[in-house]
Amino acid sequence: MTHSTWNSSGSIYLWWSRMAAMTSKELLQLARDTLLVLAVLYLFTLDIMMAGGVKMDLSKATVVVHDADHSPASRELIYRFQQPYFQLGGEILDQKEGIRLLDQGKALMVLDIPPRFQHDLIQGRPTEVQVRIDTSNTVLGTLAASYSGQIIGQYGFDAALQRMGLTAEGLAAVPMFVDRHRVWYNPNQKDSWFMSISELLTVITVLAMMLPAAAAVREKERGTIEQLLVSPLTPVQILLPKVVAMTLVILLGTALSLTLVIKGIFHAPMKGSLPLFFAVTAMYTFTMSGLGLFVSTMSRNLAQAAMMIIMIMMPIILLSGAWTPPEAMPVGIRQAMYISPLYYYIEVSYDILLKGAGIGILWDSLLGLSLLGSLVFGFGVWRFRRQFRS
Amino acid sequence: MGQAALVAEMPVYPVVEVRGFCKRYRNQVAVDSVDLSIQPGEIYGLIGPDGAGKSSLMKAIAGVLSFEGGKVQVFGIRIDSEAAAERVKGRIGFMPQGLGLNLYAELSVEENIDFFAQLREVPPGLLAQRKRQLLAMTRLEEFRDRPMKQLSGGMKQKLGLACTLIHEPELVILDEPTTGVDPVSRRDFWAILAELLRERGITALVSTAYMDEATRFQRLSLMYEGRVLAAGEPDQIRQAVPGSLVEVTVEPQIEALRRLKAKYPQVEAVGPVLRTFVDGVSSKAAREQVAASLDDLSVEAIQAVDSELEDAFVALLRQRKLAGQPAAGAAGTPLAEPPASDEVAIKARGLTRDFGIFRAVDQVSFRVIQGEIFGLLGANGAGKTTVIKMLTGILPPSAGQGQVAGADMRRARQAIKEHIGYMSQAFSLYQDMTVLENIRLYARIYAVPRSQLKQRIDWVVEMAGLQGVEDRLAGKLPMGIRQRLALGCALVHRPRVLFLDEPTSGVDPIGRRRFWDILVQMARVEQVAILVTTHYMSEAEHCDHVALMYAGRIIADASPVQMKQALQQEAGQLLDIATDRPLRALKALEQAGFAGVALFGRRIHLLAKDPQQARQQIESRLTQQGISLLDITPRIPSLEDVFVYRVMAREKEARSQ
Repeated sequence: MTHSTWNSSGSIYLWWSRMAAMTSKELLQLARDTLLVLAVLYLFTLDIMMAGGVKMDLSKATVVVHDADHSPASRELIYRFQQPYFQLGGEILDQKEGIRLLDQGKALMVLDIPPRFQHDLIQGRPTEVQVRIDTSNTVLGTLAASYSGQIIGQYGFDAALQRMGLTAEGLAAVPMFVDRHRVWYNPNQKDSWFMSISELLTVITVLAMMLPAAAAVREKERGTIEQLLVSPLTPVQILLPKVVAMTLVILLGTALSLTLVIKGIFHAPMKGSLPLFFAVTAMYTFTMSGLGLFVSTMSRNLAQAAMMIIMIMMPIILLSGAWTPPEAMPVGIRQAMYISPLYYYIEVSYDILLKGAGIGILWDSLLGLSLLGSLVFGFGVWRFRRQFRS
Repeated sequence: MGQAALVAEMPVYPVVEVRGFCKRYRNQVAVDSVDLSIQPGEIYGLIGPDGAGKSSLMKAIAGVLSFEGGKVQVFGIRIDSEAAAERVKGRIGFMPQGLGLNLYAELSVEENIDFFAQLREVPPGLLAQRKRQLLAMTRLEEFRDRPMKQLSGGMKQKLGLACTLIHEPELVILDEPTTGVDPVSRRDFWAILAELLRERGITALVSTAYMDEATRFQRLSLMYEGRVLAAGEPDQIRQAVPGSLVEVTVEPQIEALRRLKAKYPQVEAVGPVLRTFVDGVSSKAAREQVAASLDDLSVEAIQAVDSELEDAFVALLRQRKLAGQPAAGAAGTPLAEPPASDEVAIKARGLTRDFGIFRAVDQVSFRVIQGEIFGLLGANGAGKTTVIKMLTGILPPSAGQGQVAGADMRRARQAIKEHIGYMSQAFSLYQDMTVLENIRLYARIYAVPRSQLKQRIDWVVEMAGLQGVEDRLAGKLPMGIRQRLALGCALVHRPRVLFLDEPTSGVDPIGRRRFWDILVQMARVEQVAILVTTHYMSEAEHCDHVALMYAGRIIADASPVQMKQALQQEAGQLLDIATDRPLRALKALEQAGFAGVALFGRRIHLLAKDPQQARQQIESRLTQQGISLLDITPRIPSLEDVFVYRVMAREKEARSQ
């Protein structure tokens, strides 16, 4: 009898050989799925380029003016609202017009200069200007309020100096604070560095959940899982190759994104150790794929899996500090951030890529991520095994 | 000329008229210049295996599929635009392929019907009346409130039919309503359909992959790979194929089979009978030729018989060289006797499985020895798949024990998995991988050593006849080849035991024959134990041993020959009756109270304790009804007779309780 004599399971070689076969199968299937390959490529390149192009700053916000004074002084103030932050949207004749333009979203800000503005300035009497701002978008509104405050304040300061008859040379005699900024890690305060890295981390998060979940659900949908279940593969041998294959794909995409886009186009510095960054990324994708596998056990088809992933992803991103800094979170929620794997990952990634930090500084975040990671991944595997026991 | 004038004078116009129909999916031609014309009140059949183009044609006629070439006219309206399709849709009922696919799983039987009625704007009064009639006819009345997902396959199809008929369409289009449905439920479905259509004068276009259902149609088109091979009345099509069928019972069968196979391309062993199709000669000449080639063997019985449509189909494909190469190597396969060894491959003792309060499998016990082909038969939902799932270690049993390939089912699941091959109902290989990639993957999963990898892969390719398609994607292959690939992958690691769950559903007859040639060879030469389930009773005849399941229990367990003998002892002699109008004769004989009356192809079978007396009764009964009796022959029952009789008896018992 020559039948099946070679099948002696349990040997380590066999275990690895099966893993390798299954992993290459997953990669092969992914490569055959043209649409998926294109989507992954898009997310790691064009999407990140787009995100890096986004400015968080005020850009050409329209200011309309109600100038009841029409004096050289009012004109000077008005012309201080300049590009790149502001642009003048013309003059209006009455207050209601201003409200209407704000309502319609045609202006972000209305500057109202009272009659006798110049007269009062010359007389040295207090005078006021009114600024109304559309703050339905809080970021833009806050920036506009802050910038316009600075412009008007500076104008007042200049006017005061002028009245006191002081020239630029005489300024040195006036007692005052001079504040000097030192901007670290991103000296030119380029949004593109922050935005592109932030987007990359989000893309990694989505794909790390989506790709293994999709691969697992597809086997269910097409019935191929049955054939695997009657084979000598253990559940872990069915599931781990999906995670390994997809992690490989994500690491490859990350490398592509870092070299081509984030370094190539936006010239971000990459200060820290790249091997460390990739090691952390691998750890993070394992964590998130655990969640993906959990999702795959709950859903019967791809649509359900996608819905659940969106549901799980939203709080993870919200609690991560990707959109809002942790310091801005209310107390209860700030504690909850410790359970978002993305929180640790973002912190570690910025620290490595922009600040050049090493393990010495990052050990606590790394510890948090690995604890959370083993917990989540273990849970995913447990669910996956359990679903076939019934 | 005269004929043309006659046609022009006829007042009726065809309900459906198709000329030169062509349909392409991207670059692949699905249907190629098909003509079709359906007269009012007719039941027209489209018969052919998967991928023949039946579905595309039906969808185009129903106005839900655009097409590239040709003309489709329904109720005299040319379907050439969305608007034209909308105009006829209200008069059409369409039931797509797939068990219960057009129904809503969560809704109850009644809610499904109501939904379709609302969709078709049936007034409430009319709805109540029609619903009552349809539920009564389909015998779904008592299941009114049951969610559709809990119905059996046959019941789902009956509900689908009721939903399709609720707006009383003039034309119904049913796409493979009986595929995946067991023989008994299939018969039931056809009887109900015929009655409903006749009562209401509805025209029907129905497709099927089962050749033996051809009798249900007045006319039909035999389709294969997008073309019509033949069209007309079933008898015309059979007779148009040049050649004759000879049945012979001979000892020793293996020697006879070897000789016949060497000489004729179309030979089949069905139980003790060898069926040989001799091309191009009359029945008398065919009989003499076959007798001459067996002259020194002991021939028990030899007769030329009418071929069935399946024989004609296979012969047509062969004669037109459409079906690819003949079974490689398998033609000369020595068919040894069932194995004498008593090495047990599968042993099940009291296997039971509960799902909640529902007992899917109840105290099932049987054994399969090495080298044996064991058939597990039964209606949809009888528990066959659950038994296989327990034996392959996917599903733990609620009670009972089992041994597979010498390992205990409860304790050594891993060991079992290494020694078995498994092939499921659905094609469960990777469609986005090539043939070779699939084989290699399974070879590595089953730990075929590197040194033997190439040799095993070559063996699979050769055995399954996959030469030339090694680098094609599995999803792009025709059904028959895909199934052989799945079989090859299941055999790549030389398993001792092979489980096959409805491996051939939807495969064309030639593909099925080839598939079984491989199975027989695996069992006899490689001594593999094979456990197989199937809805094709002609396939079950190839099994050495058969177990019949009903409602989770095994109700009969014996060799096919023993089963037939038991049936004869219990219910009497089987009479095979040929008439000119089989469907009407069927009804008349059922009403006369004969036991086990059932339609088989164009013939009627019934069981009679006293054949002489029964003959006279049949004759007088049929004459009364104006049906002419062509022939009554006593026959050995087929497994299908056994199956139908046993299951119908149980159902009657269950209903009367």
